Amino acid sequence: MKRTAQLLILCLALVLPASATVDDAISAAMEAADPYVRQGYSVREDQWGGDLGEGEKKAFQHTLFKGNEYWFFMATDTLKARVSVHIYNAEGKLVDDETWQKGCYAATRFRPPGTGSYFLVVQVEKSPEDRTHWALVYAYK
Amino acid sequence: MQNLRPALFLVFASLATPLLAEKPPAQIDLSQFQQATQIDNVIVPVPAEIFVVLDKIGTPNWKNEMRDIDLKIGERHQIALLLGTVIADGFVAVEATDREKVKNIGRDVLKLAGAIGVRDSVLGRSNSIIEKADKGDWQNVKRELDGALQDVRNAMSELNDDQLAHLVSLGGWLRGTEVLTSVLNKNYSKDGADLLHQPQLLEYFSSQIKAMPPEVRKTSLVDQIRRRLTEINPLINDAEISKQSVDKVHTITSDLVNSILRKDS
Repeated sequence: MKRTAQLLILCLALVLPASATVDDAISAAMEAADPYVRQGYSVREDQWGGDLGEGEKKAFQHTLFKGNEYWFFMATDTLKARVSVHIYNAEGKLVDDETWQKGCYAATRFRPPGTGSYFLVVQVEKSPEDRTHWALVYAYK
Repeated sequence: MQNLRPALFLVFASLATPLLAEKPPAQIDLSQFQQATQIDNVIVPVPAEIFVVLDKIGTPNWKNEMRDIDLKIGERHQIALLLGTVIADGFVAVEATDREKVKNIGRDVLKLAGAIGVRDSVLGRSNSIIEKADKGDWQNVKRELDGALQDVRNAMSELNDDQLAHLVSLGGWLRGTEVLTSVLNKNYSKDGADLLHQPQLLEYFSSQIKAMPPEVRKTSLVDQIRRRLTEINPLINDAEISKQSVDKVHTITSDLVNSILRKDS
């Protein structure tokens, strides 16, 4: 197991470019969403992204439809970074139904109780970089 | 190598402990995100997101919702709006599983993108729409239509035609809402009507129009859309949207979609 982890780290060191880009973050977010396609989710081809400093948050307003189930995926290709994504309603109340976070990946599931405007809040919680590239994609069914 | 990299990330990430996650605040002050109300931070859904719900709460006759149109190419703002409606038509045709219709729409998308100077940006998507429709691969046709929408908008932004990119989204929303209200008119339900509860999205489109340069904003077509969006707003703001309101929204969106079809608008 230890040897496998060492090999993996070595592979990553060989594969990764010196500087991350939003495109790489998008690829990572799409990869995180991919297993959900097999569960019947449609993944949007659109992506949102940019760079954030450690502790910095950004919000997106999004109209979500009652009757759908959504998964939102945030990712960065800065491996030692930790990111998060959560959903709040128009009153600022946390409404995530389920979340997971694995270092440079995070996701949240939500079934809106009513059609309306919700806020997706993305955050780079921790990062070795001054600015960390990130991307957000989502899937629905 | 490009494809391998994200997979390696996932493997690596799965080794990391998820126990370090910070607990999110149960309540936040949304006013801290002043930019959240700005144009760039609003996500516009695609019509397919609504159509999926309609399929769950009823059995719409999607073939009845399709239309035959004669593409009339006018000014750039009209083409952008028309392109949005045609892509929305693509989502309707996917629901109807109509291969020929989807293929024709794939060609129409290319034609309209060419007329606006962004043909190359959607050539691959158009071919893929046709190819996947031929195979009946509807899930991926939806993805390609969504991708075509994004690619054409991105290409317009690169040409500093952001206002046209916004009009593509607006055209798609108008046609999507016309179809939604048509389905609801035939089989009204409160849950279905709840899908119209999109006042913030309407506000977003109105703010985009307001921010457009006068040569676009003051054209008769865009000005007509701006005025009529204000008529829709009170109809979709109620907690419960009535059948009468649905009918009125349908009339307004049908009028606007028909205006977009006329190249002299």
